[in-house]
Order: sequence, then structure tokens, then C-alpha cells
Amino acid sequence: MNLTTLLPLMLVASSLVPGVIIFFLDEKQVVARISLNMAGALLKLALAGVMLWGVVHGYHYEIRLPLLPGIDLFLRAGPLAMLFVTLSATLWLVTTVYAIGYLEDSPHRSRFFGFFSLCVTATAGLALAGNLLTFLLFYELLTLATYPLIVHRGTEVARLAGRNYLIYTVGGGALLLLATVWLYTLTGTLEFTARGFLSGLDAVHHPALIVIFVLFIAGLGVKAALLPFHGWLPQAMVAPAPVSALLHAVAVVKAGAFGIVRVVYDVFGIEFAADLGLTLPLALLASATIIYGSVRALFQDDLKRRLAFSTVSQVSYIALGVAVVGPIATIGGLVHLVHQGIQKVTLFFCAGNLAETLGIHKVSEMNGVARRMPWTMTAFTIGAFGMIGVPPLTGFISKWYLGMGALDAGQNWVIFILAGSSLLNAAYFLPIVYAAWFKPPPPAWPHERSFGRFETAWALLLPPIVTAALTVSLGLLASSPISPLEWARFIASREFSP
Amino acid sequence: MNDWMIVLLLLSTPGLPLLLAIPALHCRLRWPVPIALLPAISLLFVPGDFATELPWVLLGSAGMGIDTVSRWWLLMSVTIWAVSATFLHRTTEPVADNRLTTLFLLTLAGQLGTVLATNLVSFFAYMTLMGYAFVGLLLIDGNDKARSAGRCYLVLLIIADIALFEALLIAGGLTDDLGFATVAHVISQSSSSTFYLSMVVTGFALKAGFWPLQVWLPLAYSPSRPAVALLLWVVPVATGLLGMVRWIPLGAIVAPMLGTLLLGIGAAGIFYALLLGLMRAQWKQLPLYAAILATGVFAMGLGIGMVDPAIWDQYGGDSAPVFVTTVGLGFAAIIAGLAWLERKNGSPSELTTVAGTVAWFEYWPQAVIRWAGRTGFDTLPGLRAAWLAKWARLLQTDRWQKVFDAGEYFIQHWPFAVTLSLLLGMLSVVLLLLDVMSVL
Repeated sequence: MNLTTLLPLMLVASSLVPGVIIFFLDEKQVVARISLNMAGALLKLALAGVMLWGVVHGYHYEIRLPLLPGIDLFLRAGPLAMLFVTLSATLWLVTTVYAIGYLEDSPHRSRFFGFFSLCVTATAGLALAGNLLTFLLFYELLTLATYPLIVHRGTEVARLAGRNYLIYTVGGGALLLLATVWLYTLTGTLEFTARGFLSGLDAVHHPALIVIFVLFIAGLGVKAALLPFHGWLPQAMVAPAPVSALLHAVAVVKAGAFGIVRVVYDVFGIEFAADLGLTLPLALLASATIIYGSVRALFQDDLKRRLAFSTVSQVSYIALGVAVVGPIATIGGLVHLVHQGIQKVTLFFCAGNLAETLGIHKVSEMNGVARRMPWTMTAFTIGAFGMIGVPPLTGFISKWYLGMGALDAGQNWVIFILAGSSLLNAAYFLPIVYAAWFKPPPPAWPHERSFGRFETAWALLLPPIVTAALTVSLGLLASSPISPLEWARFIASREFSP
Repeated sequence: MNDWMIVLLLLSTPGLPLLLAIPALHCRLRWPVPIALLPAISLLFVPGDFATELPWVLLGSAGMGIDTVSRWWLLMSVTIWAVSATFLHRTTEPVADNRLTTLFLLTLAGQLGTVLATNLVSFFAYMTLMGYAFVGLLLIDGNDKARSAGRCYLVLLIIADIALFEALLIAGGLTDDLGFATVAHVISQSSSSTFYLSMVVTGFALKAGFWPLQVWLPLAYSPSRPAVALLLWVVPVATGLLGMVRWIPLGAIVAPMLGTLLLGIGAAGIFYALLLGLMRAQWKQLPLYAAILATGVFAMGLGIGMVDPAIWDQYGGDSAPVFVTTVGLGFAAIIAGLAWLERKNGSPSELTTVAGTVAWFEYWPQAVIRWAGRTGFDTLPGLRAAWLAKWARLLQTDRWQKVFDAGEYFIQHWPFAVTLSLLLGMLSVVLLLLDVMSVL
């Protein structure tokens, strides 16, 4: 083994090993737990940085471990994988800092951080997966690692949410398994290949391929919260704020969206999928989800539920970008994978800060809160404006490429979906911003805690400020050589090169 | 002055106000706004035209520069902002809340940025910053009338931004270089020009408050807040007019229908302003109606230019900036003079109270918002109401929410059944389709 084979393994192990050790730590071993968490997160980010540099310079990082006859556990760091790995490694670091602050005095921290690390391990694994079986294994691991985080509080509501999550995701996983096995029987291979590996199949198999595609999308659509498989996501809001951030920005919904990208590009191939007539229904489903999620968000008074429905809507932009066939829309979809993650994690951090510091859970309780927590609400405002697509924030870049891609592909109707969605985003985010900044505060907050000279604990304040700064800087400097946009352009050029 | 110095001035003209908008910085300075204006003032003395590209910014085609048009706008902007700043600092001296100064500086950064933008994307980005910060300036007063104006303007702003985003996409589809000159050229040659022009005119008409969309202006205009009142021309109106001049290929395109429409809107605006101006007993409202009248004149000029490009080439191109600057400076002089007189006379309560500032036929947007509020939308500050009011009968909140909630309840409590039935349904549809295809 050399470094090029070891690095993908090390990247996965960088969160797995600390996670396993943390399970065995006593609750009182706070320093050891924090050190392991931070060391793992920093190491993962450093390894992701090294591999990113290597991929840019043409290095191939891959490792095969025999799993079944003819099928390996295969990890490979391609450009698409590195996009997701870098996102999850970056956001895992900030979420870990946040979680440490958030759960400072809570019970069962070792259990929490153990599963938290396993969750990111699964995310890194599925991002690096070089074939469908490896993807499936980590996809299921993600389901199992996330469940204890959702039910962490142990309340009846949390258990119900966890049960529903499990039913949905295990069901989705079963569909994915069915599709994978069926595909293997047809092709004898499951290895992800640039531009897909199905176009050479005999036309007699095309009907079967259509059904397999539907099974894939249904299976992955559960985690990606595509309509009508989104039901678990708003319920999962009972989980602690760092878990919500993880579900919405780093791991679960992103895993589903990333899976859709993989299936469309590296299994079917975008052109072949379009030839089979599969991309238009997917685009329609994504559009319906975008509008439905936004309309539902409009009527939620619970802040986290409003954000959850916003995720339902926003994640479907990724599927939409994939389904609108063409290089520009692909860039939009891929870059939104990163941008939505950063924006949404900011919003969930802020929601957590409001809950932890002032006991605010509802939008109707947020009047004048920006005067009490200006930094948190500045970050929230930036995240919200990013979601609406206000320039120069990251959301604008995503929407620009999705819109341009739609025009380029001759699917002009997508423009109206984007416009309608932006309008709805403004309708459910701006009233929050307005109430927080311009309405008079109440005489007392529901459950106020004092944190000395800062508006809240520094570990809770720093992460949203960092991610809000990323929302601004990655949007403003979108065309710089090290931006996610440039990376998405690189991936799209590879997918659509003649 | 070497090029690097000019680039620095260009970047710091919106950059310094943006930086000083951070409360921790501006609260340490006695005169943050005049300090923030220094790069813009220096830029006025840069000879000739100059432009620079910012390849890493936004979509890779952002740019800033100064030319004859922007020089006029910059002169007007710097003058009005400087005068406005003197009123701002007077009013905020005893106030500990520094949100007003932050919003003032953010609006300034955005407005100066639009003046110096050399392409559509930079212009749009700066204009958005300016617009939302200005809404904040209107809202922060706490007075009901100003809040109402702020909300109304916010709704128009969002619709305008969406219209302009559509226009931006059309331009982006035609050319990678979104510089004003290139876009003007490709739009004038394109078959998509009508949709582009419609979106641009709609967007900027909403922003600039063309008749009949000026309803928020009388509400926003309060002589008791001269710092904000002074900005009503330079921020929303003049920037909207600048947008029209920059985004529309005036002199190169013939659009008779749109031109005629603008002519009609302009004429109606002039008539409206004259009628209202004469009806007003309160002479302090006159500057506002003079501004609406000037906007009408400008709309007519644009309309004539779109009907007959040769006329715009001959007269419009040179006179438009001079016209806007002159009106702006006149507007500022009257408001500042009134504020000064008011202070000198020393009876603020009598002079600042303007009764009946809204005529009966100007009440319609407020009425729509109130009516929609009563239908159940207005759980939050009336923002949704205006957008959804049109479809209020269809979107009766209670009814739809019950339908949605029932659907969600079913989805959440019967996930397994839902999943299975949906899958069976999908498979059935697919198999049916396959069957149909095989028959065909």
C-alpha cells in the first residue's frame, strides 16, 4: 500500500477511530472527548485538503478491498467525490465546535459524539464510494448512525420521529438494494463510470432500466426529501440543533441528493437518462418539491419546522440541476450542494442559539431578538438572504447557473419555478428578518440564560459567524480558482466533454 | 494619478462605507458617513473614463469604472449623501442604537456601487444591497407610516428583483460578457429583446416608483426625518432611472409598444403629480410631487427614445444625467432648506406634522394588505398579504392549510403504507406506460 491507496482509507478512518474510542469514554472525560472530536475533525479536513490538491494535479486515490466475489469495497477520490468530502469535512469541523458548546451540560455526550462521528464516517464513505455496493453500505450505515442522534433526547416525540425516520429510510434503502441487485443481474458491474455504464445495454433492457431508475430515485428520494417521501424530515426537528444541522446540511439529505447525482451521471449517464425520457419526470418532481416545500414553510410558526420545509424545497434544486440536462445546469446543481449546505447550517446554528440562549422556538417569539443577539441574527439574515438568492451571496450563484442551464437546455419553464421559489423564499424568510430587526422586543424572553460579555456561548456564536462569512465570501468570490463554483465547472466539463 | 490608485478609489468607494457599516468601527468615529464618502469625492477628480475588471468576483465578469454618466450621478450622490449625513448625525447623537448608521452606510455602499458598476451583475448586486438596506432605513423609524412605506417598498423591491433577474438571465444567455456596452449590442440584435426590455422596464419602474407604483413614496416621505427624506430621490428613484439608462440599449433599439406605454405612464405621472401637488394644502409635500413629476418627464423621455432612437441619440444620452442631477440637487436643496427653516423656527411639532398626506385614491395598496390580512394571511407583518391577496379566494389559508396538514399527517403517521402505495402506484404507472409503448 502506498499513500495514494491509504489516503481514502485514512479519510474515512479519521472520524471512525475517534468515534469508536469516544463510545468507551466516561461522561466525565470531557477533555479527552473534545480533543478526540477536534483532532478527528481537523485531520479529516487536512486530509480532504491534501486529496483535493492531489485530484487537481492529476493524482488518483483509490483502494479496493475484496468484499464479494467480483465486487470490491471500492473507495475512489474523483472530482465529484471530493466536492462532497470537502463540504462534509468543513461543515463537520464547525458543527463539532457547535455541538461541543450546545451539549455542554447534557447527558449521554459520549453516545452522542460517537454516533456523530460515525455519521460523518458514513458520509465520507458514500462520497468516496467507487461502486454502487460500497455506496449502499455506507448509505445504510448513515441511516443507522443517524437514528440514535434523532432520538437522543429520549422523549416520546423524539422516539416517534426516530421511528418514522427509520421506517422511511430503511424502506428507501430496501428499494436501493433492489435496484442495485437488479442492475447487477443485467450488467454484471456496479462500478461508477464517468458518463455511465448502461448506454451500451441492449434496447430490450430499456424498460427494465426505466423501472430501476424509478426505484433508485424513490430509494434516494427518501433521504433527499423529495415529494412525497419528505415526511420524516420536519418530524426529525425534535433532534438537537447540531443534529438538525447535520441532517440538513452535511449528511443525510445531502447523501440522498448526492446519490441522485451519482445514479444519473455515473450509472445511467446524463445523455442516456435523457434518451430514456427519465430526466424530464425527475425535473418535474424536483420542481413540485421546490414549490411544495416553500408553500409549506410559509405556514410554519415553529422556526425549525420552517427551516425543515425550506430544506425540502432547497435540496430539490440539486435534483433539478441534474435533471435539466446540460453542463450549465449541472454546475448549478452541484454548486448548490455546497451552497445550500453552508447556508442551511448557518440557519440551524442560529435557531439553536435562539433556543439555547433565550428559549425561542417559534417565529412569533422572535420580535426584536436582533437587539439582544445581533451577531446571531446577522448570521441568520445572511443565511436567509442567501436562500432567497440575493446577490452576492452563494444562493444567487446557484440560482444563476440553474436558470442559465435551463435556458441553455431549452427548458424555459424552469425559470418560472426559480422565480416562484425565490418569491416564496422571500415570503417565509423576510418576515422573520423583519420581526427580529424592526419589531420591538418583548419585556422578557421565554427562558433567558446569561453568557457574560457575549450574547451567547462563544462555541455557539463562532460557527454561525464562520458559515455566514463563507456564505458571503464564496458568493462574492465565486469565480476565484479555489471556489466551489470552479470545482463544479471542472466536474461538469468532465461529464460533458466531447 | 496612476491606474492602481484609481482602482483603489473605485473599490473603496463602496468598500469603505461597507467596512464602516460594522457597528464596532463606526461607533468609534464622530463622522463615519463623511469619512465613508471621501473615496467617492476623490473619484470625482479622476480625469477621463476608466474601468477595471474584477475576474474573481461573482460570475467572473464583474467590473467597476467611471464615465461621463457615472460622474454626473456620483456628483449628485456625493452632494446629497453629504447633506443627508449632517442631519443623520444630528438626529442620532442622543441615540445609542447604531442600527440607523449601519443601514445608512450599507445603503450608501450599495448606491455608490450601482453608480460605478460597469456591468449588469455588479449593478444588480449593489442595487440589491442598497434596496434592502434602504427598506431598513424606512422601517427603523418605528413610525407607522414609515413602516407601511417600508413594507410596501419591500414587496415592490422583491418583485422588481425577480423581474430583473429574469432579464439578467436572458442577457446571460446571449453573451458571456455582461458589460453594459456588450449587452446593449447583443440585445439590440436579439429576438428576445422584447421580453428582456419588458422585464427591465418593469423592474426599474417598480424600483423608481413610476406611476402608478409610486404609492409608497408619499408614505416614506417625512419632512421630520430629513436624513431619510433626502435619500428618496438619490436612492430608489435616481438609481432606478440609472438602471434604465444602463440596461436598456437606448438609441440602438426600437420598441414602439413599450415606448408608447412609457410615454403614457410618464404623462399620467406628470398629470398625477400636478393634480396632487395642487390639491395639497401642505406645501411641504411639494418636493415629493416635484420628484414624481420629474420621474414622469424622464419616463416620457425614455418612451420617446424607444419609439425613435435617433431622438435619444441626439438629445437623451447627454441630457439624461444632467436632468437627473439637477432635479436631485434641487430636491435636496428644498428639503434641506425646509429642515433648516424648521430648526430655525424651533417649532418642530407644528411643522413636522403633515395631515392628510395620502389622497383617497392612493390608499389601494394599504387596503389590499389590510383586506388580505383579514383573510388570514397576515400572521406576520403584512408582507405575504400583498403577494397573495390576488389569489386570496383560492388560497384561503384555513382551507389549504387543512388540506396540507391532513396530507402531512397521513405521510407522517402512515409512512410505511404511504411508501408502499406510492411505490406500487409508480410501478403501475411505469408498467402501464411500457405497455402503451409496446403497443405503439
